[in-house]
Amino acid sequence: MDYGRPALAERLAAEYVLGTLRGRARQRFETLMGAHPALRLAVLAWYERLMPLTALVKPVQPRPATWQRVQQRLFNHRAPVPTPRPVAWWRRLALWQGAAAFATVAAVSLAVLLAQPGAQPPPIVIVLSANPEAAALAQASFVASVSGDGRSLVLKPLQIGSLGAGRVLELWAVPGRGAPRSLGLVSASGTTRVLRARLLADTAAFAVSLEPAGGSPTGAPTGPIVSVGKLEI
Amino acid sequence: MSVAADPRSEELARLLARVGLADRAAFAALYQRTSAQLLGVVLRIQRDRALAEDVLQEVFVNIWRAAGSFDPVRSQPMTWLASVARNRAIDSLRRRETQPVFESTSRGFGPDGDEVDLLDHVPSDIPGPQDQLGLMAQARAVKRCLGGLSGEQQQCIALAFYQGLSHAEVATHLRQPLGSVKSWVRRGLLSLKTCLQRSAAMEF
Repeated sequence: MDYGRPALAERLAAEYVLGTLRGRARQRFETLMGAHPALRLAVLAWYERLMPLTALVKPVQPRPATWQRVQQRLFNHRAPVPTPRPVAWWRRLALWQGAAAFATVAAVSLAVLLAQPGAQPPPIVIVLSANPEAAALAQASFVASVSGDGRSLVLKPLQIGSLGAGRVLELWAVPGRGAPRSLGLVSASGTTRVLRARLLADTAAFAVSLEPAGGSPTGAPTGPIVSVGKLEI
Repeated sequence: MSVAADPRSEELARLLARVGLADRAAFAALYQRTSAQLLGVVLRIQRDRALAEDVLQEVFVNIWRAAGSFDPVRSQPMTWLASVARNRAIDSLRRRETQPVFESTSRGFGPDGDEVDLLDHVPSDIPGPQDQLGLMAQARAVKRCLGGLSGEQQQCIALAFYQGLSHAEVATHLRQPLGSVKSWVRRGLLSLKTCLQRSAAMEF
């Protein structure tokens, strides 16, 4: 076969969209797309060509429970979820409290607030240290700076090693009890900014997990935690 | 490729933009408008109904999170939504390692073949419920171009797209060599692209 690279890229893009590109080749291609805008454009063009065929598919009304579950996952409705789960990693955070590798720094916050009630609360700085247990999969550490009013977070990498094919990092706010809340994907290079109404409310730690491309498909961390920073108040 | 402005498509784009700003009412409206079509798309690939409903959940979780990055200049809303549905459905096959279940008993490209029925279905000009999403005009163009391919090329592409089969699965289903199937798919896609480029050019 005498394919030059553009022809090969075009063929892979078409087969990715058609669905015949599978398994590791598909994962590799998704990773490549992340790095090559030309590939993304080729894929977009193939989506425009083939996706209209889905208009010919007969619609099927979903069960009412599905919408309930979507809302539960995204908006933390209190309806009980029947599926049993193994002990989730965030419940094991307490085990790391003694580990020297997990140094956390929290600039003075509550004490200052109490001392000077009218003052603008200072930002809280948290170091998210690399988890040595995840070192084989990914090395990553960050500094997070949360504004005193708890409405914005700026995350800067101290170090991000290679993540492996088709993987991204996702940031989570971990409460003392209950499931972590996703704060979105961590920017591959440079700064990640997060805006929320109350980042610090019910947050015991910030954590970063390794997820498949696009982030966790389930709304909870699915991959290993690569770094954690606990808030000390 | 020319994209004619369609009121249904524009309405979806507006909803998506608001979902991107965390508007839950817009998200509920989007779900109401598109979830049935998207579940249909998922079911073509993930035949297990319960698993398909799980996939649909993931699809809408993805949509909620990624709607802010949807660019209406680059893409049509339903194209993007359908692509999320197909990708999650394909991923669910890998995770569950399900064997594809062939509902069609057709062994060839005959008039009783499931995939052929879909390709032969001629959408009427009056927008019916299937045109909720503004894609019917383009679906007609693609269908026309698919009709210009060889029988084997059409068959392979239809099996891959509508049944979510891999090259190897298509080869097994048709009892043809893997190399032939790959070649038919590759050439079929190239011809499809050329045909669509030609018909887009003719619209000017």
